[in-house]
Amino acid sequence: MSLGKKKADIWSLITFAGFAIVVIFLIYPLFDVFRYSFVDKESGAASLSNWKEFFGRAYYMRAFGHSMFIALVTTFFSALLGIPLAFFTTRYKIRGSNLLNTLSVLALLSPTFIGAYSWITMMGRNGFLRNIFVSIGINLPQIYGPIGIILADSLQYYPFISLMLAGSLMTIDRSLEEASENLGARSFKTFFSVTIPLVLPSLTGGALIVFMMSLSNFGTPMIIGGNYLVLPTLAYNMFTSEVGESPGMASTVSIILMMCAAVVIVLQTWASSRRKYASMLVNRPIQKSLKGIKSFLAHLVCYFIVGFSTLPLGVIVFYSFRNTSGPVFKPGFGLDSYRQIFYDVGKTVINSFVYSFVAVILIAFVGTLIGFVIARKRNMAVRILDPLLMIPYIVPGTVLGIGFIVAFNRKPLYLAGTATIIILTYFIRRLPYSVRSAASILKQIDPALEEAGINLGSSPGRTFRTITLPLMKSGIISGAIMSWVTSMNELSASILLYVGKTMTMPIKVYLSVADGYFGTASAMSTILLVVTGVSMFIVTKYFNRGSDTFIAS
Amino acid sequence: MTSIKISGVEKRFGDLLALSDINLEIKEGEFFTLLGPSGCGKTTLLRTIAGFYRQDKGDIWLGDELINDVPAYKRNTGMVFQNYAVFPHMTVFENVAYGLKVRKLPAKEIETKVAAALKSVHLSGYEARTPDKLSGGQQQRVGLARAMAIEPRVLLFDEPLSNLDAKLRVEMRDEIRAVQKALGITAVYVTHDQEEALVISDRIAVVNFGKIQQVGMPWDIYKDPVNLFVATFVGKINALDVRLGENLPGGMRKATAGSIVFAVPAAGTEGCVEAVLAFRPEDIVETTSDANANRLAGVLKATSFLGTVASMELDLLGQSIVIERHRPKKADIPAIGETVEFAIPTEACLIFDKKSGRRLDARGL
Repeated sequence: MSLGKKKADIWSLITFAGFAIVVIFLIYPLFDVFRYSFVDKESGAASLSNWKEFFGRAYYMRAFGHSMFIALVTTFFSALLGIPLAFFTTRYKIRGSNLLNTLSVLALLSPTFIGAYSWITMMGRNGFLRNIFVSIGINLPQIYGPIGIILADSLQYYPFISLMLAGSLMTIDRSLEEASENLGARSFKTFFSVTIPLVLPSLTGGALIVFMMSLSNFGTPMIIGGNYLVLPTLAYNMFTSEVGESPGMASTVSIILMMCAAVVIVLQTWASSRRKYASMLVNRPIQKSLKGIKSFLAHLVCYFIVGFSTLPLGVIVFYSFRNTSGPVFKPGFGLDSYRQIFYDVGKTVINSFVYSFVAVILIAFVGTLIGFVIARKRNMAVRILDPLLMIPYIVPGTVLGIGFIVAFNRKPLYLAGTATIIILTYFIRRLPYSVRSAASILKQIDPALEEAGINLGSSPGRTFRTITLPLMKSGIISGAIMSWVTSMNELSASILLYVGKTMTMPIKVYLSVADGYFGTASAMSTILLVVTGVSMFIVTKYFNRGSDTFIAS
Repeated sequence: MTSIKISGVEKRFGDLLALSDINLEIKEGEFFTLLGPSGCGKTTLLRTIAGFYRQDKGDIWLGDELINDVPAYKRNTGMVFQNYAVFPHMTVFENVAYGLKVRKLPAKEIETKVAAALKSVHLSGYEARTPDKLSGGQQQRVGLARAMAIEPRVLLFDEPLSNLDAKLRVEMRDEIRAVQKALGITAVYVTHDQEEALVISDRIAVVNFGKIQQVGMPWDIYKDPVNLFVATFVGKINALDVRLGENLPGGMRKATAGSIVFAVPAAGTEGCVEAVLAFRPEDIVETTSDANANRLAGVLKATSFLGTVASMELDLLGQSIVIERHRPKKADIPAIGETVEFAIPTEACLIFDKKSGRRLDARGL
């Protein structure tokens, strides 16, 4: 159904605005990155020297190898944690499984650098846990380097696997497994020939997301990686280091990073496009009650996994209440660290809230309009816009940050050092999620509802306002809250773009850790954790969204 | 109360011809049904009347008004949707009041009209409920009340009962019919359920492949189908491929199906050799005084008892046919494997051209 000529113009205007956003804030900066990678460091002339150097020098190839290694091993350990958790919580009655779910989502959504930082306080050079082990004669290795990155990454990202897998385990029609048993298969055989194949697409889907997140993660390797460089930290170093700064090389590294990400995204799209077996859910699977030792072991496994992943968060909160004097922790507890934040860096806290808020309003507004166009107007322009809008999925924050610095450090759009550039980073990184989610909400709204409105005499505009929009509202708001969480916790792009007066909390946490001000870092991390937790609570409580909201966004 | 006139309407979706030269006149206050299999174009036609599609050719009139270019929201047709389309974010009252608010009626009047509409669908007292607290049948009543409340020129029903269970379907269908008659409003009703169509309609248009096959009262459609499609789609029928042979005395003609020989009325079959002989299971008799009737015997393969009717599947020299006995007594039902004798009265024989499917034997009722 078409909405008439006058409205069509408004929709074309939105389509046009969508193109403008993509061109100015994605293609233009990314093209600069691309161009820089072909500029010779010494002469400034166009050349392939950066590319030759990347593939020719062990230093760069090693970082590439590190990235692949970290992403692979992290995916493996995430699966190791996520698969049993998903099976036990969906197939057996586990007491407190809702709490387990919530805690693992909190671990997933918390800023990436908090986990890394927390492991340093536990297992770092002077980590309390490590000191305990040392005092009883066990000399554990330090956490810096690949072990730390893999540990922190796995404990943060395993919920992608457990939640996606649990989601599809919950939607297998029980009759399918019953049919298999009825046809004579033992439960062991049923599990491997029916259950596993049915959930395999979500398992691979979740694993690829973990791979992708780990590959483009900047905060964790930056804080805990030490000298162990991966592609995002390499690009950052190449771009910012005072000795031998090389934007060209940073750009080359960025492009290689993006190409890896693109391959993963293609694989992921392929994995998830293979048949999905969601059913109408007449027969939900039953959760069996376990008895005795079996029940004890199942509970132990689940609580251990979730407990282990929330431990770093707990430690941070605990540390934030310890008394400090500058960088040194003193005995006793108090609100020193919090007081210090509000005296010294109150502006940072305000910045974070204001920037995220402005970005979220923009994201929700623009995302909904473009989402509507994509879901309901399938013309040629929209068909081109749709995939273009997906570019941010494969652009790691570090790469976007580099692109923004280069592109907006000159006329016609001089934005360096402004709050605008930070807000725009948040905006563009989250926009595709918001567009996707608005479009998918719209696809779930039966067009017959809009037709009913029209049929009852309501004009298309009024129908959109009184029927469509109210039905989208809860989806838009819960999506906006998710954008809020990710914006509040954004580090990888903004760390390249901030100046003193536009500093945000994640940046301050990173700098405090680097300078050894653990008290400030803990208190600020705790604030971010609380914001994340409260936002999550609102989404689940008031918008009745399940855990899948958190992984889909 | 408005008549509907559809003349020469055609609608294409890409290469698919969804509606082809549709001509219909639906009378004021008539309950008119579009009956056909899924994908036949019946829903497309209904949505074209509602204004959700614009026909590529032809005209549609509501009463005296040509509505080709009137947008859907100005057509004042009340539609009842297959999946109810009850607004989930509004209460029952707000749903029914929606169209009235759009029409800017005073609040007092809206209240009266909503109350009246809800009363006529037996939902008084449900005003404050939200749709998720209603059963499928109740949601469809809200859909009906909402469509009625705006006092539309015509009511349009898009398979409104197909998502309901069998018992509720019968109940709702009688209610829809009663409400429509009480209001005297013109109704166009789309369904693929032939029984529903026969029960509810004043007239039926059987639709297939985007074309109207036959328009008539339920009785005509069932008893006097114009082609093989209508005959097989509406009701149960035995259809045997036959070869028509020489004329027989008494205005009959020889028809053979394998080794079975029938005598069928010759009128209208001139020039046709490959034909289909069709007869309804309930038209079979045990004995008849009709000299031309085909007396046959088949071997009983299966029986099924349906209360008022016993249905028997017979093997008739390799052809499988079904016959029915009404008000059966247990003793009347033979055992499987026994031979059953029966007769097909002349007037029960329907003859169709095999190639075109067109009905050949002319017959007045």
